[in-house]
Amino acid sequence: MLRVEGLTIRAGSRVLVDDLALAIPDGRITCLIGPSGCGKSSVIKWLSGILDRSLEASGRAFLDGRPVPRPDPALAYQPQQDALFPWLTVAENAGLGLEMRGQSRRDARARVLPLFAPFGLEGCADAFPAQLSGGMRQRAAFLRTIVQDTRFVALDEPFSALDAVTRLRMQDWLCARLTETPRGVLMVTHDLHEATQMADRILVMSARPGRIVADIPLTTPRAARTEAALADTRSTLKSLLLKETS
Amino acid sequence: MPRILPALLFAALLLAAWEIYCATADVSPLVLPPPSGVLRALVVQRHQILHHAGSTILVAALGFSLSVSFACTASVALHFAPWLRRGAMPLLVASQTVPLVALAPLMILWFGFGLLPKVLLVILVTFFPILVSLLSGYARAPGAFVDLLSSMGAGRWQVFRRVTMPSARPAFFAGLRISATYAIVATIFAEYAGARAGIGIFILTAKNNFRADLVLAGVVVSAVLTLALLGALHIIDRTTARRFREASDATR
Repeated sequence: MLRVEGLTIRAGSRVLVDDLALAIPDGRITCLIGPSGCGKSSVIKWLSGILDRSLEASGRAFLDGRPVPRPDPALAYQPQQDALFPWLTVAENAGLGLEMRGQSRRDARARVLPLFAPFGLEGCADAFPAQLSGGMRQRAAFLRTIVQDTRFVALDEPFSALDAVTRLRMQDWLCARLTETPRGVLMVTHDLHEATQMADRILVMSARPGRIVADIPLTTPRAARTEAALADTRSTLKSLLLKETS
Repeated sequence: MPRILPALLFAALLLAAWEIYCATADVSPLVLPPPSGVLRALVVQRHQILHHAGSTILVAALGFSLSVSFACTASVALHFAPWLRRGAMPLLVASQTVPLVALAPLMILWFGFGLLPKVLLVILVTFFPILVSLLSGYARAPGAFVDLLSSMGAGRWQVFRRVTMPSARPAFFAGLRISATYAIVATIFAEYAGARAGIGIFILTAKNNFRADLVLAGVVVSAVLTLALLGALHIIDRTTARRFREASDATR
């Protein structure tokens, strides 16, 4: 389990995140939702070791009870945009994390190529990102994240740049991939529908200064998450968020 | 229609108008020779022109190559050492305010009539645009790419090599193109201030002999050399950037 304790993030005298604590269990999807500006992305960036230098942060991260550095090698981060380098082929982009972890470009390519078919990217290995559709680009970005074989994955609003239909498809697709190869996921989102469809647990953050105000487990199996089954949870989340923004 | 056709058509119209004006107006060919006269001078004096052009090409190529190397090295140093950048940039900017008219004779005075003063002058003129282009290109590296690599544990040098440098590529070539247009002119100016051979000396001699046709022939050679240098850069850009071009073509 990956735990964060006592995380406070400041921008000068303003407190963005206040004494936040959260836990990310292995093999489960934890969604972090909250009003705009509550510091959701700052939390995930702090955990990934890329918090903006203009912000001050204090707090500690623990992996199985042991303090860990940031960026923690056990965590792979995926930003809001797909962040595929336009000058690299899709295969080179997908293998970038492996190269950064010390593998040669050839080994990284050999490792990613067999995953192109399961990720719906057949025949795209030597294409450039600009030649792919939005959904394919996002799948390539997920491939780059998943292939690093880290125990934990941090996703910062991974579907925010996609259109509604592609987003729904990608949510189902990602859940299927994570069922095949389970990872502990911390996903930031502002989309209630997305959070309730995908998460095993939803953490609700308050308005600034951000802290966790609710921890809602979702026990309904994903296949059974119909609109009716999720109605109560969505209603609870909605009233919590409205309360925070009022 | 090929992209070069409008430019060729415009140039042909201009030359035709110039030829007609010289043929119909009462103007001495000693003052304004027609394009056909300039062409004739180019053909008649071709051996001499080729000899001088060779010297100009050598100085410009050497100066420009060294300038690119120095600018790339300096840009990396200034990128990684902000204190060095804060200290050096005002001096570099000030160096660009010194007029060529003052700089060229000083170079000759200090370093003689050999290759060195002319190469130095080309470096001084072409270095700054390349350096500034590179630095502004480095600053345009997308934050999301830098964040991604940093989250993977990449160090500053890895981020520079994999994101910052490739991101600066378009700015680098823009700077190269600007500098290339200065390189030949700076060489000719250096030769004009003092040299044994070169298009600058050819033009100076022609001017002293009241040979406007030869002066203009020198101008034509200067233009051709500059266009050739720009063409070479264009070819390098296209051949080394296949993947960049394909990526941008696909988005059109």
